Amino acid sequence: MTTKAVNAPGRKVGYWRKLGLDLVKNKWLYIMMIPGLIYFLLFKYLPMWGIIIAFEDYSPFLGPFKSTWKGLYWFQRFFATSKWWDYLQNTLILSFMSIVFTFPAPIILALMLNEIRSVPYKKVTQTLLYMPHFISIVIVVSITYVIFGTDGIIYKLTMQMLGHSIDYLGDPKVFRWMIVGQSIWKETGWGTIIFLAALTNVDTQLYEAAMIDGANRAQRLWHITLPAIRSTIVLMLVLRMGSVLDTGYEHLILMSNALNRSVSQTLDVFVYQNGIVNGQLSYTTAVGVMKSVVSVILVVSSNKIAHALGEEGLY
Amino acid sequence: MKKIVSLFLCMALLLSVMSFAAAEEDMTLNVMLPDFYSDSDFVSLEDGNPVLQKIYEATGVKLNIRWVPDSGYGENTTTTLADPSNMPEVMVMQGVRDAIMISSARAGAFWDLTDFVADAENYPNLAAGEKSVYDNIAIDGRLYGIYRGRAYARAGIYYRNDYAAQVGYENEPTNVEEFKDMCLKMAAIDPNLYVFNMCKYVAGTIGIMTVMNGAPFQYGINAEGKIYPAFEDEAFQEGLDFIRELYAAGGIDPNFMTIESGNWNDAERSDPLKALMRLDCLDNGYRYEEWLEENKGVDPTKPVVSLLTALPDKNGKIQIWPQNIGASGEIVVTKAVPEDKLPKVMKFLDWCNSAEGQTLLNCGVENETYWIHSDGFRYTYPEGEAENSATYANKTNTIQHSLNQLGMNVNGDLTPPTAATPLRAEYSQNLVDNAQYVIGNPCYTYDSETNNLMGASLNQEVEDAQVQYIAGKIDLAGLQAAYANWHAQGGDDILAEYQAIYDAAK
Repeated sequence: MTTKAVNAPGRKVGYWRKLGLDLVKNKWLYIMMIPGLIYFLLFKYLPMWGIIIAFEDYSPFLGPFKSTWKGLYWFQRFFATSKWWDYLQNTLILSFMSIVFTFPAPIILALMLNEIRSVPYKKVTQTLLYMPHFISIVIVVSITYVIFGTDGIIYKLTMQMLGHSIDYLGDPKVFRWMIVGQSIWKETGWGTIIFLAALTNVDTQLYEAAMIDGANRAQRLWHITLPAIRSTIVLMLVLRMGSVLDTGYEHLILMSNALNRSVSQTLDVFVYQNGIVNGQLSYTTAVGVMKSVVSVILVVSSNKIAHALGEEGLY
Repeated sequence: MKKIVSLFLCMALLLSVMSFAAAEEDMTLNVMLPDFYSDSDFVSLEDGNPVLQKIYEATGVKLNIRWVPDSGYGENTTTTLADPSNMPEVMVMQGVRDAIMISSARAGAFWDLTDFVADAENYPNLAAGEKSVYDNIAIDGRLYGIYRGRAYARAGIYYRNDYAAQVGYENEPTNVEEFKDMCLKMAAIDPNLYVFNMCKYVAGTIGIMTVMNGAPFQYGINAEGKIYPAFEDEAFQEGLDFIRELYAAGGIDPNFMTIESGNWNDAERSDPLKALMRLDCLDNGYRYEEWLEENKGVDPTKPVVSLLTALPDKNGKIQIWPQNIGASGEIVVTKAVPEDKLPKVMKFLDWCNSAEGQTLLNCGVENETYWIHSDGFRYTYPEGEAENSATYANKTNTIQHSLNQLGMNVNGDLTPPTAATPLRAEYSQNLVDNAQYVIGNPCYTYDSETNNLMGASLNQEVEDAQVQYIAGKIDLAGLQAAYANWHAQGGDDILAEYQAIYDAAK
């Protein structure tokens, strides 16, 4: 304890001195870094001063300097409505459902594709699997309406099988599953690309050795393939955590209606509806700022957890 | 050499002065309008659009139009006004008392037009507008736009009388109770044939039904002078209960809340027919009949569509839902127009209301987009070419697009008349006879800060609950919980703010 206390100031000075020495020693490297730094300052940090409008009654005609200062008024207003918890809850549930169900889907599919031995068949399958990615979400939702609506084939099939049917488009209990299902249908094939690339790096000798040792297919998959792409999976997962509160609004707005609005209203949808449609720029900026704060907390803590579990993490 | 240069410079100076003078007479005007024909091309002025050319010849105004698809116009309004350096000079504001309209007007985004409207000498057409409607759109007592005039008594019910006859209603129902009885009987005709044609936009259907049933519109004032929301009126609940009953009887498509308002016509124009009745603007009723005559071989002398409005409720009271407040949005002049140009812009807007302006904006150019036949009426195709009407309509769309959106018609309809079919005649007569029955929102012009901020989302929640109630997803207790939530989340503040204004005005 005492040594630490004695060392601490010394270490701090040491850090700056070390940085200074390093600057001199590697000056060309640092000079090469300048364009990148400027980029980040100009396009990532500078625009952030725009969140000032969350603290005032912003009007575009008066500009950020002449608009009335409101302090934390909009934040108080948001938390005064009991709805904020619903929005946050909807956002989190949808996000975690997408991490639990949508995220592993391309990994499983990539592993399955990897087991296909016929190359022409594999190529055709892959191409077909990539197709849905290029279909606009608007079209995907329209197709859903056609086949899940009361005149749709799925609706009628469930009617015949169960005797009663499920209100796929209106029932709040079904809504999240529909969203997750659509995302899986649309993006899984495309998501396999990165995992298939990782799989090509697996040393084939390992498989041969395992075969000689008598490992069956499942054992080879479990003990060789999965560990080989483990770092890719962790990296993708940590990157996904960074956008855990971004549910997007387009997909949700298209699928939402009066019956399922209780579960389809996420923070993003709220910001869009009230900011862009109803023109409450300050109010929704405040909500956006709040969302960012929660996001930062989530990323930092998930990174901590990753470290605690012995993984590399994000930083 | 010097002489030549100075001569050249003089010439250049002279030319620039001349061109400036010319530019002062001709005026380019940037206009933003909602577009109902965004799937068809538009012929610009440079490409020889005959209507824009005629407008230019008559006024010296070159219209430069920014078309925005109608379905996204609201979002576009917000984003457009968020960038003051890139605003159009004249634009349509669809909501006259929206938060965005009020806040933009107060922040100084639009020119105050009060004095122009009062100036009958220079702007006679604008001054001829109805004072009550101008009052409806005023913000803090000032006018920031010219309203786009619409008839009050447009709302009602239109239905297929051939199917009504099957259930014993050869004649139109004469009161609300008979109407309800007819609906329920029609629901029993065929399980695949719905009665009410409903879509995502439910405010109209619920509004028409409840107001007809005797409820106030949006807000009511009780005997003690207290303002209350319409949904707490008994007559409102009764009307809503009837829609719920009809839904339970199979009279409404269970998928109605997923149908976009743009596909509203589908159920009544589908094959086989899916819906028999619609609570909406009655001009859609005569258009439906005309569509049936053109596409389904319906005999024009025996219309199968009936228009129904002004029915007495069980207490004998007649009320009509206000389709609008006498206006459908307004035309505003933004601060992108410099002050010295403003009178010219206003002169142009005044001209838009003249007979010439109205005809060009609404009908286009004679023998290009409309034709006067030997019966003296206006048609959308040349005489004797009725079978090619669709071709002519397509051509007209590329020229005319949604130019009528710039029309205000504050001084009434001055366009060449169209032939009056029996239904059109009935519709026009209704507008005159029934204007007295149209009710309004007593708090319409009141300004409530809470309403500006939260009104839209609060109303959305109440409307969602009403839809869930109709569809049988929640019961009366669930509906009342949503109403209680409305009160708690800001409704009580809105009522208090309205009440204060109402009491002060008394």
